[in-house]
Amino acid sequence: MVDQKKLRDEAKKIISRDDVKYVIGWEKGTYGFQMTPLFATSEDDIDRLVFNPLCIHNLAVFPMLEEKLPLQKGSFEENEKIGIILKGCDSRAIVQIIQEKGLEKEKLIIIGVPCRGIIDYKKINKRFPHQTKNAVVEEDDKNFIINTNGKTQKIPKDELIMDKCKTCEFPNPVIYDVLIGDEIKTSKKPDYKKITSLENKKLDEKWSYWESQFEKCIRCYACRNVCPLCYCKECMVDQLNPQWVRRSVNVSENTAWNIMRAFHLAGRCIDCGECERVCPVGIPLSDLNKKLEKDVMELFNYKAGTDVKEKPLLSMFKPDDAEDFII
Amino acid sequence: MPKDDFEPNIVAFLCNWCSYAGADLAGTSRIQYPPNVKIIRVMCSGRVNPLFIVNALQEGADGVLIGGCHPGDCHYIQGNYFARRRMGVLKKLLEYVGIDNRRVWMTWVSAAEGKKFADVISEVTENVRKLGPMKQIRRENSW
Repeated sequence: MVDQKKLRDEAKKIISRDDVKYVIGWEKGTYGFQMTPLFATSEDDIDRLVFNPLCIHNLAVFPMLEEKLPLQKGSFEENEKIGIILKGCDSRAIVQIIQEKGLEKEKLIIIGVPCRGIIDYKKINKRFPHQTKNAVVEEDDKNFIINTNGKTQKIPKDELIMDKCKTCEFPNPVIYDVLIGDEIKTSKKPDYKKITSLENKKLDEKWSYWESQFEKCIRCYACRNVCPLCYCKECMVDQLNPQWVRRSVNVSENTAWNIMRAFHLAGRCIDCGECERVCPVGIPLSDLNKKLEKDVMELFNYKAGTDVKEKPLLSMFKPDDAEDFII
Repeated sequence: MPKDDFEPNIVAFLCNWCSYAGADLAGTSRIQYPPNVKIIRVMCSGRVNPLFIVNALQEGADGVLIGGCHPGDCHYIQGNYFARRRMGVLKKLLEYVGIDNRRVWMTWVSAAEGKKFADVISEVTENVRKLGPMKQIRRENSW
């Protein structure tokens, strides 16, 4: 469990600096098990800051969303920094963005929090339906201690934890300025059982499975907007001339969108699972991302978001890359 | 349409410096090759966005071929290496989603290999002919 007081003290130290614009963290949501991102601009705001196993959002998306207006003549880009609190997986997104030169490390002050797994809100809402009052969730080594309406319950972690956390290799932030608490040791390995079972199906079966998934897509682009690595100024689906992907919602366009979205994350996706979490129709987008993660590991022995100095996968090459498909 | 009568539509993205010149040589040398291929000239095989391939399959192509210079011969030094990486990943992804990745081909043809170009086109055409028309992601309306 992360020491809340220490976290707040560190955040206060950062926000009281002159060159820091705001600190991004989490605060209690309006009801139930919700958490919501907190943008703290003063020390008073920091009092609302919390970190607990419900803090699901990947905050790495926010530094990229910040609007940058065109500079007027004679004015300079402000040099203010952003404080940000990152879990293990989120920090890999930041590493990836820095690798791609989307952000400079100097712009960020990173508070790292080691994380033992985040609660899947779908699972917990099933367990506690109609929970409207704010609940308090704490954790010990093996259980979540959930306090709802004055009653306390102990639930084993495996029942509530997100699927991605069960195979998480990076519980500790890869990059940070301050680390709250001690690093966690882990021996978890990525698990591609679901991917290989899908891979081994016949082509027709695969297509009928994915067709039934892509049919549901309403192309709200929530998966793109929540993704910390989808930060193009103009996305290829918003382009009108040429319009590569049409606006109409049908299997053809949905498939094109989903293939291209997954492809644009090849060798970049850090499997934070945000796209799948926000998908309103429940398309298993992680399966697409994980497939690419697996292929990239097999083909190029590359893992995204682990080293700031490494080059992005598709902007480098080796003369002896696999070319068995070339005639 | 019976399968035997099926004539595949193949879109070929050929690089300006090698493959396109190779196709030109095949023509000027009067080498016969199947007429199913529609050639689009690009400046480098590294110019070929995977989006082009998906879009071609949507718009009526049954197969796509990407032609570039031999490794090391690229006019832009390294464009074909990038293309190779990209296509390797894309082909795996297409296969996973259930689109036969034998519809997407890549080849290295130099400007002197008119015969090889004709052979490649024949091979791709025959392979795509066996697969039949592309049905899965055909675009039905233009909006």
